[in-house]
Amino acid sequence: MKTDMSGNYKEKDFATAGKLLAVLTILFGVLFFASSSNELLKQAVLSSDFAALQQDADCRADELAEEGLSLRECELMLVQVEIFLVSSPSWFRSVQKIFSLIGIAAALASIGLALSLDSRRGFSIRALVLVLSGLVVLDSGMFVVALQTGPLLRAQYLWPLILWFFIHLCLVLGGHFISENTKDKLIN
Amino acid sequence: MTENSKSVFSRERLALSSATRFCHWLTTLAVFYLIISSWWMLSLPLPSENSTFRVLPFQLHKNVGLTLFLLLLAMTSSFILRWIKANDRKESKSQIKAKIGHGLIYLMLLFCCLSGYLSSSFSGWGTQFWWLFDLPIWARESDDLNAIFSDLHLWSCWLLIFLIAVHIGAALHHSFKNDGVVDSMLGSPNKS
Repeated sequence: MKTDMSGNYKEKDFATAGKLLAVLTILFGVLFFASSSNELLKQAVLSSDFAALQQDADCRADELAEEGLSLRECELMLVQVEIFLVSSPSWFRSVQKIFSLIGIAAALASIGLALSLDSRRGFSIRALVLVLSGLVVLDSGMFVVALQTGPLLRAQYLWPLILWFFIHLCLVLGGHFISENTKDKLIN
Repeated sequence: MTENSKSVFSRERLALSSATRFCHWLTTLAVFYLIISSWWMLSLPLPSENSTFRVLPFQLHKNVGLTLFLLLLAMTSSFILRWIKANDRKESKSQIKAKIGHGLIYLMLLFCCLSGYLSSSFSGWGTQFWWLFDLPIWARESDDLNAIFSDLHLWSCWLLIFLIAVHIGAALHHSFKNDGVVDSMLGSPNKS
């Protein structure tokens, strides 16, 4: 960003930074919405069919050809579900469902606020920073919850969660920086 | 003359209605949900009498896809009407490229939905529209046709993902330039 003679950032640069923050928040908001929706679906589906785990995998030759799978891959698909159920404590799925619902709501809120972001209005940027901070807390909570599972599930969950944590942290800090530096010029 | 007003994308031309913007973002959410959930649901155990893991994800996938198709028909009509209206204006190369890009995305979205529906129709599995009513089964089960449309669905979706990546890249490029293009999709136009 350019600075004027006194070393202050120009107002126009903050408008550009605000626009960029809005676009990045929407992009990551959409991805987080999709990720949380899928997680909610995953928790709903994988807790519903214990009976199937007692049976051998049903791997018909025509289905294998249609899906482009080997017999062993087909058998392992059932094992993957078993891993998920065995590696997680009994409360894990309920907590994940709640976190996913909060994640969906927060992602939609961040998209809505980013869409209405106007660098001249203080409320929208402060509200956006608040929602993004909430997402950082949510990522931390989900990380702690994922730590309580077995190593097979931790391997699946921890890496994406830490990535989301830093993405949301960057957005919070960017939003906070813009908010702080435009505070005296904002219409509240 | 400000830097923004020099842009080849004049704000007056870019102004989009709230309904258009709403439909755009609704489509975005639906498409990303469909892409991400489809990668996961195909890793679930194959369906059988005992295993019903795939039932909910597939029904949801089909319903979101069908609803998206109806929304896209309305959006495509609106896009074509706007294109026809703007035809009398002289357009820059960038604007023509942007319109071709958008047109291709609409085309691929429609094709993905249609090929998915046709693949499902020939698979022999029924579809309940949002758990309200069964959609009529008009096609006889055919493994060959199911495989053809399934492949078309798969490859058109990969092409769509590529087009979306270019579209997002262009959006980021314009937000770095702050040339007013991004404002047309955000709620508040740039007043600077």
